[in-house]
Amino acid sequence: MGNASLRDLAVIEEVSFDEVSNSVVAVDAHNWLYRYLTTTVKWTSDHKYTTADGTEVANLVGVVQGLPKFFEHDITPIFVFDGAVTELKEDEIEERRERREKDESRLEDARERGDSVEVARLESRTQRLTQTIVDTTRDLLDLLDVPVVDAPAEGEGQAAYMARQGDVDYVGTEDYDALLLGAPLTLRQLTSKGNPELMDFEATLDHHGITWEQLVDAAILMGTDFNPGVDGIGPKTAITEIKEHGDLWAVLEARGEHVEQADRIRSLFLDPAVTDEYSFDTDLDPDLDAARRFVVDEWEVDAGEVERGFERIEDSLVQTGLDRWT
Amino acid sequence: MFNAIVSADTLRTTLDSVSVLVDECKIHLNEDGIEIRAVDPANVGMVDLSLSAEAFESYETDGGLIGVNLSRLEDIAGMAGSDQLVHLELDEETRKLHIQIDGLEYTLALIDPDSIRQEPDLPDLDLPANVVIEGRDIDRAVKAADMVSDHIALGVDDADELFYVDAEGDTDDVHFELDREDLIDLTPGNARSLFSLDYLKDMNKAIPKDAEVSMELGEEFPVKMHFDIAEGQGKVTFMLAPRIQSD
Repeated sequence: MGNASLRDLAVIEEVSFDEVSNSVVAVDAHNWLYRYLTTTVKWTSDHKYTTADGTEVANLVGVVQGLPKFFEHDITPIFVFDGAVTELKEDEIEERRERREKDESRLEDARERGDSVEVARLESRTQRLTQTIVDTTRDLLDLLDVPVVDAPAEGEGQAAYMARQGDVDYVGTEDYDALLLGAPLTLRQLTSKGNPELMDFEATLDHHGITWEQLVDAAILMGTDFNPGVDGIGPKTAITEIKEHGDLWAVLEARGEHVEQADRIRSLFLDPAVTDEYSFDTDLDPDLDAARRFVVDEWEVDAGEVERGFERIEDSLVQTGLDRWT
Repeated sequence: MFNAIVSADTLRTTLDSVSVLVDECKIHLNEDGIEIRAVDPANVGMVDLSLSAEAFESYETDGGLIGVNLSRLEDIAGMAGSDQLVHLELDEETRKLHIQIDGLEYTLALIDPDSIRQEPDLPDLDLPANVVIEGRDIDRAVKAADMVSDHIALGVDDADELFYVDAEGDTDDVHFELDREDLIDLTPGNARSLFSLDYLKDMNKAIPKDAEVSMELGEEFPVKMHFDIAEGQGKVTFMLAPRIQSD
């Protein structure tokens, strides 16, 4: 989730959708789905997205209601998923299941070893979304021709890497950790009503007069998903201390404190597992009829919940903009 | 400096052609007249308008750029009878526009032009077909299509030398065609493009029924519609981006 106090350090400004239109955004898929499920779909009564055998697929409502906002503003989303699945289609589902089981047993092991960093990593990967939610989301995105990228590890790290490479314009996530991962420009609140927020990495470093490493060090002092942070250090103190002492270890030494596996946590942000093995086509050609059948017939979602969203997708994708001819 | 007198009718027609697309716009005050160019937020419909100094009863300026809230200005223009004159005077100090209609005085706060959406670049189009048609025929076509559908196809049949309109609804269809006889002029060429009726209906509202509208069309290209206002002293071009068949 990232430490919300990072907001106090980040340079963030509200922007209009006009300012960010005609762009490509690498969306942290797990974060997006999770936010959508917790904030929006929870207001829909659950019988509308529960199949006869009791499987909840609220994510499908979320995808259909959430995508039009991107399309209507000419923003092409690339959904970046945690974990890797690159084999042939028929092997995919089996592999995803195996991977999940593997993650779960690794989680057990990590708990037994008392490896809190590994526990935190794996928990965020395995427990936030069910496998059905991940699989049906991917299938629906596929029918809608929305590109998907598989990260070797955390989707957010991969999304930040793609943005650093210049292959996408923005990272889309609510998570302030995007800043620690060096995502140059991050769009927040893409699912909310109203305008998005733009979080600027370089401007943040400039504002505090620190390096990327120092920003990550400050964050570790404040506490991250992987460590609880040092007692009594908030955003202000963290920056002051880092600037005074230079880096994390010097600060810890000066205060007589210790952070478990600090080196490893640091490299999770500065040097996350990423891949260059990705490609995507931003010219989308969705099969809306097939998508409707998938959501309404196959997964028994109440048609009324998704029809408006499908109509918006249809309208936004076939209506061209005049800028296409300038 | 800007000081002008214009008939309420001319002012309203001018504002209407822009307000069908946007709520706010920049107005260029040039020595030979005013110019407005604006595109709607979705980048689908554009208007390019010029009103020459001759369209005004009197017109004086040394150049400038102002930003206005169109509905506010339309409301004020609506207070005047059609043959009444509207006196516009810019106060550079306060950035306000003083508007006088007989005894009625209204001071309109202007908008910072920098806060208004950037003016669009004009698409560079070389369209094969050209149809010159009366405003009232566009009105008929749009009204008929609106009864059955949200979209309207505009096309020119090169071989049969005619202009046609198609709208397909869930159950009912509309087809409307005009040949050389019914049109003011026709330059045939193969053309057919689909447009959103929402936009075309709005543009249609701003096209005078007795106007000669020169319509340029292509194959899945934007349509351009040119017509005169203010007895030929003003020129308006609407441009509308097509919908493209996704299958």
